[in-house]
Amino acid sequence: MNRVQNTKLILWFLTGFAAAVALNRYVFGLGVTTNLSDRTPWGFWIGFDVMAGVALAAGGFVTTAIFYIMKREECHPMVKPAVLTAFLGYLAVVAGLLVDLGLPWNIWHMIIYWNPHSPLFEVGWCVMLYTTVLLLEFSPVPLEKFSRYARIRDFLMKFRFPLVLLGIMLSTLHQSSLGTLFLIMRYRLYPLWYSHILPVEFFISAVALGLMMVAFESLASHWLYRREPETHLVAKLCRAAAWVLAIYFVAKMTDITVSGKLGLIFDGKWQSNLFIVEVLVSTIIPAALFFVPKYRGNNKVQWIGSSMVVIGMVLNRIDVGGLAMLDSTASYTPSWMEIAISLGVVSAAVLVFLFAIENFHVWDIRPEDPESLPHTLPSFDYSSRTWLGIPSVASLTKHTLAFVLSFALGMALMSGNRLHAEGIDQITVKPATVVDSLCDTLCINGNRDDQFVEFSHEGHISRIGKDSCRVCHHLSLPGDKLSSCWECHTSMYKEVDFFKHDWHTSASGANLRCDDCHTPGVTRTAQSAKKCTACHPAYKFLADEKNATEKYYIPSYVDAMHKLCVSCHTVEAKKVKDKPNLAQCSTCHRIGTPPELKAGMKWDVTLPHFDNVVLPDVGQAGK
Amino acid sequence: MSKAILTDVTKCIGCLKCVSACKQVHNLEMDVPRIWDRNDGLSAENWTSVIRRPGDHYVRKQCRHCLEPACASVCPVGALHKTEIGAVTYDITKCLGCRYCMMACPFGIPRYDWDKTVPHVEKCILCYDRIKTGQQPACTEACPVGATIFGDRDELLEVAHKRIKENPAKYIDKVWGEHEVGGTSVLYLSDIYLDFLTYPTRPGDKPLPKETAAAMESVPFAFVGMGGAMLGLNWIIRRRMKMDKERGNKKESADE
Ligand code: SF4
Ligand code: SF4
Ligand code: SF4
Repeated sequence: MNRVQNTKLILWFLTGFAAAVALNRYVFGLGVTTNLSDRTPWGFWIGFDVMAGVALAAGGFVTTAIFYIMKREECHPMVKPAVLTAFLGYLAVVAGLLVDLGLPWNIWHMIIYWNPHSPLFEVGWCVMLYTTVLLLEFSPVPLEKFSRYARIRDFLMKFRFPLVLLGIMLSTLHQSSLGTLFLIMRYRLYPLWYSHILPVEFFISAVALGLMMVAFESLASHWLYRREPETHLVAKLCRAAAWVLAIYFVAKMTDITVSGKLGLIFDGKWQSNLFIVEVLVSTIIPAALFFVPKYRGNNKVQWIGSSMVVIGMVLNRIDVGGLAMLDSTASYTPSWMEIAISLGVVSAAVLVFLFAIENFHVWDIRPEDPESLPHTLPSFDYSSRTWLGIPSVASLTKHTLAFVLSFALGMALMSGNRLHAEGIDQITVKPATVVDSLCDTLCINGNRDDQFVEFSHEGHISRIGKDSCRVCHHLSLPGDKLSSCWECHTSMYKEVDFFKHDWHTSASGANLRCDDCHTPGVTRTAQSAKKCTACHPAYKFLADEKNATEKYYIPSYVDAMHKLCVSCHTVEAKKVKDKPNLAQCSTCHRIGTPPELKAGMKWDVTLPHFDNVVLPDVGQAGK
Repeated sequence: MSKAILTDVTKCIGCLKCVSACKQVHNLEMDVPRIWDRNDGLSAENWTSVIRRPGDHYVRKQCRHCLEPACASVCPVGALHKTEIGAVTYDITKCLGCRYCMMACPFGIPRYDWDKTVPHVEKCILCYDRIKTGQQPACTEACPVGATIFGDRDELLEVAHKRIKENPAKYIDKVWGEHEVGGTSVLYLSDIYLDFLTYPTRPGDKPLPKETAAAMESVPFAFVGMGGAMLGLNWIIRRRMKMDKERGNKKESADE
């Protein structure tokens, strides 16, 4: 089994899946894709893609500082991969932002509209500049391949030092400013995370995380290509990281103690426990491990320690970025689509990283992916009896397949629209309730939320006259005399199939065949079918009076009620002098708990009989 | 002249006329109910709402139009802007949808068009277009009992204090919005505590943009300082390396 090939296959799969989900997000908006809400406008994407992404890419400025500023020559093998990681990391951050921003096509607005008071403005500019700097820092590596660009390369090499310096200065700013973003949210962020020195904490932890990310990446890529791990070098990084983590821990704890929040840590709330786990994983355990020389020289411990820091610090950024909120009613867990997109962005970045180390001199000795070499040996899949072509073509095929299939899977899982995603297109209307002893006043509240309408029969009849019944009870179910609104308009927000095909064709129902209603030989549409009145003559008044074509889909409950009431109220509002607001929401809608429901009450008063209303009779179903 | 709205909770009858007036003037559509957060009634389609509190108290919620708004100070492109006249307005053409304003507002006012493919931030703009031309906001105009009124901020503050003085038994001796977060252009008089209008941790009287001001002011110093520190470090290390080398050379020559 080929480690590199399998890893790539998984990465392509994740990328393809994320691409489909991202498409979903752009077509239907943020509401369908994310669990973000007005209460929690920032979530996983900001915490992971942006804040953790930027922090993970800190390896770039830390290693260049060690190599170019502090002149530690032995770190040379780490520099190029670290700069490459940083560059790809920032590109991933931008990609994550493009998904998260509501109006991503306006991302460049920061260049022309300035608000220097905003920390985000500063972060945005720094990220833009630093990504450019990283591009310039790294581009000599790929340019090396082309002698054509030798002069550009020489030029860039000459400005190495100032570029590196600028990169460090910019990184200092935006790594810390990501903490500044949250200074204004004292009332939002859980106190254990909120601190006036948040910018400083963010900077220090970014340095530690940068070191550990370089270590982790070196370990992982050497494992992947079956190379001898750079244990000695990684040990040095670990020692540095241990000191930085210690400083971070002391700073954090001092701040918590000084501001008197020490008691909060052990009060047993989930936030407190989260905090304990986070600090243990990100700081205490790895620092303790790496302070012991024997451990930090051990490859296994290096693996454990560096991945702990990476996971712990990412968790820290996610906590600050939206998880550890003070308001317990505002709960947020990322949706699977948010996670899928983030994974896809990371996977794509890793794929580019692998491509770069295979094709350019990022490492001193370029690794080779055995299958990507143009071997002459063809490969044959015995189980499916197919010839897969030469290995490089075979791997290309496999990757494309992985991408396409996962893309298709993502498309298949798309949830379509918000109403559906929230399950509210399936809200079945609940009947209005009678709230007074005379059975006169109705409390209309189809979805039982806290905005209901009180409707008085008497009030309407006395004003508009006896004719008014038929306005609302415009049609009744076959066999019924005065059907209620909810009996036909059964769905709260979705159109209703009023002509029940299923019932009309079922044996226990009307037992009709298609041709009984639809003209044979013509496409079966509503137009080519018999009118309802052909079987239910009593329905006539609807067609006669409104001169309407009969519909098979009728409006949702909400639309039906609004159309009916508001259209009449609008007309009346113009007529009646002292009621200019008759057509406004507040005229009918009340908020709060509906008046006490008199459950079990029945219509037991004798209904008045009006001559001019033709109430539908039992329809002559069948032929 | 800074304009303001004064809402007297004791007078409000909860008729929602302000809500429907606002919806009408700003062409807000019908709201799709959320499965979360029904309790304050604000949404992308409801810029103002009336919260019913126990004991038939009705409290109108809307943007407070802070004198030093957190939302405007954090917006990276300056889409939100505190105008001379008092309104905090929103420029639809600048916004890039980062939703930082929603995170920063201490009253949780700005809402988002989560369902739309081209979403915007939605909040009360103090009917900027109307008050610019000398009209009053739609909501204060619609109020049938004068529970919510519009005027100059200073005058309204006077009115508020006068009402408290005339009727000390009826009101809590506090004008909400006079000092909170550095003062707001939407003031409240009340007989119940209005702390529920904000987050569990009160924002206090200090203007929120001040929280970030110190950090933001130290940005240039951090920038130059880091650069200087790195250059200095580099200089020292190089010098030391040079000296080591020279010493080594000397040693070598001495050895010879
Ligand atoms: S209440 Fe919120 S949205 Fe309104 S001005 Fe103040 S900070 Fe901005
Ligand atoms: S969402 Fe729009 S208005 Fe709000 S801070 Fe971001 S850019 Fe500014
Ligand atoms: S001031 Fe204007 S925008 Fe604000 S709540 Fe009143 S009507 Fe709506």
